[in-house]
Amino acid sequence: MTTLLLPKGKRAGLRQQIASEFTKLRSVRSSWVCLVLMVVLSIGFSILFPAIIANGWSTRSPAERINFDPVSVTQFGIIFGQLVIAVFAILAITPEFSNGSIRSTLAAQPRRSDVIAAKAIVLAVTTFVVTEICSFAAFFVGRAVLLAFGGHAVAGELTLAQQLKATAAPVLSLGAPGVLQAVFGGGLYLTLIALIALGLGILLRSTPGSISLFVALLLIIPGVFQALPHSISHLVEPRLPSNLGAAMTSVHVRSTDFGGQLLSPWLAVGLMVLYGVLLVGLGLWRFSRRDA
Amino acid sequence: MALIADGFWRGFAKEACWYPRPRDEAPAVIEVRHLTKDYGTTRAVDDLSFNVEPGVVTGFLGPNGSGKSTTLRMILGLDRPSNGTVTLDGRPYHELRWPLREVGALIEAKAVHPGRSARTHLWALAQTNSIPKSRVEEVLEIVGLSAVAKRKVGKFSLGMSQRLGIATALLGDPGVLLFDEPVNGLDPEGILWVRTLLRTLADEGRTIFFSSHLMSEMAQTASNLVVIGRGRLLAETSVENFIASNAERTVRVSSARAGELAQLLRQANASVREVDGALEVSGLEAPAIGETALAAGIALSELTPQSASLEEVFMELTSESSEFSTTRPEGTQQ
Repeated sequence: MTTLLLPKGKRAGLRQQIASEFTKLRSVRSSWVCLVLMVVLSIGFSILFPAIIANGWSTRSPAERINFDPVSVTQFGIIFGQLVIAVFAILAITPEFSNGSIRSTLAAQPRRSDVIAAKAIVLAVTTFVVTEICSFAAFFVGRAVLLAFGGHAVAGELTLAQQLKATAAPVLSLGAPGVLQAVFGGGLYLTLIALIALGLGILLRSTPGSISLFVALLLIIPGVFQALPHSISHLVEPRLPSNLGAAMTSVHVRSTDFGGQLLSPWLAVGLMVLYGVLLVGLGLWRFSRRDA
Repeated sequence: MALIADGFWRGFAKEACWYPRPRDEAPAVIEVRHLTKDYGTTRAVDDLSFNVEPGVVTGFLGPNGSGKSTTLRMILGLDRPSNGTVTLDGRPYHELRWPLREVGALIEAKAVHPGRSARTHLWALAQTNSIPKSRVEEVLEIVGLSAVAKRKVGKFSLGMSQRLGIATALLGDPGVLLFDEPVNGLDPEGILWVRTLLRTLADEGRTIFFSSHLMSEMAQTASNLVVIGRGRLLAETSVENFIASNAERTVRVSSARAGELAQLLRQANASVREVDGALEVSGLEAPAIGETALAAGIALSELTPQSASLEEVFMELTSESSEFSTTRPEGTQQ
């Protein structure tokens, strides 16, 4: 028998909503499927790609050698995993719209900004913890694989000329300049991807719609920009999320797949934060004005 | 402080339980003023004003598509009115400090993530208003879902979902309860259970506002009525008054000398129709008809006052305001 005494505190607020959103996030199977898949992808690719590259180093073209990055080669799973994290984030919001439970949520907490803030915080913290573990695990596994397949440990980042002439894939340790930051960047990038996807989910309200748009932003739009004149594509391409991710997980400033130049890691972080804040903000603005 | 009688829980709960209601303020009243909702060019709710009185069951009646659900969503602050206001105890919904502890609502039974268990669904909502976990078990017990609390809600029948929706509404032990079509999808036993529950909750001094398109449901459960059609207020009254003031009362009269009697009654300004070999008289009460017959020396074999059922009154009142009324055959009276 419970007597419902009025609780301490002024009103139902963000703290209570965060507890609720955390319960919701971990009580559906899709969340677990996504996060386990994320771990499998990040570790799996941190074995696959370093093995291939270190093994065939002598047969690599000069361009491939120059573009080799001892950290980002271990983080391919992180970059592929962005789709998984996007689905994870989208599924934290859109089912509430499609099954109507958003109305129960809002009847319990009518301040919509608290609902969105709690979702964003719970999602960001969960994603951050899991994906940082992934990116560090991927780095250590990937580094071990590079060494096992003929990579040579070097003390610090090689110049591009040195890298071109190297007889084996250069391998950096976590303590080398710029490495910790790039590994940390992997989890941070995915956390910001989660916020971008959450923003899309709030705006579009539909699961397939949000996932489609995210895939379009990530995979199709880069191709479109490639077709545009270089003056435009070189400006836009490095600022697309996937290339910002590459920039955040690299120790080198490298070129993009289509020949542009990656931004510096800090600029990349700044732009990703801007995208995330912009989309979640836009979502909240729309959400606050619409009928639930 | 009102207690729920032990007897009520028998059959629903393994152990009898009661809830003290530590509430010193007067029960809330819902005030709807000039509420209007437009969807594009369609006006779903049209300048609707009414009160929901404290401590009674008020029925919210209207045909399908008449704007009941839209109105309930606006009361809960889910939909933004195009015009007008709704207040609960003088405040708009979003100003409630602990919404679930003040207002409980059943909006849509199936509006739950299908992959979540009933228990986690309730627990997630309980957390938003700092409601303890023990209360989740209690409401599961009250609605009879304890045995299936771990099962995924997606596998629930409509009746079970409806019970879960009611559990959601009861979670914060609120003083005001809103139910949108609470008996939908329930079997006769479940319907009886909801009726008893609504009355018990009202007896405890709670304000209850529930919608239905079924008139018979209202006659059984509600004491006050708000009737709408095409988003407009048609009546706001007690169930008794509603029937009394809207029904044309008739008296059924049988006699071997019906034709003669009919003439006499018409002379007394009554209107008389012949129905199934008997007379249906309106405009004259049964005692007056009896006296007329006696004065003329006509023996009556039947003299029965007919009271219209709520259903008939409702059909009468809403027939012209029904959004989806069927086309009437030609020649019949509109």
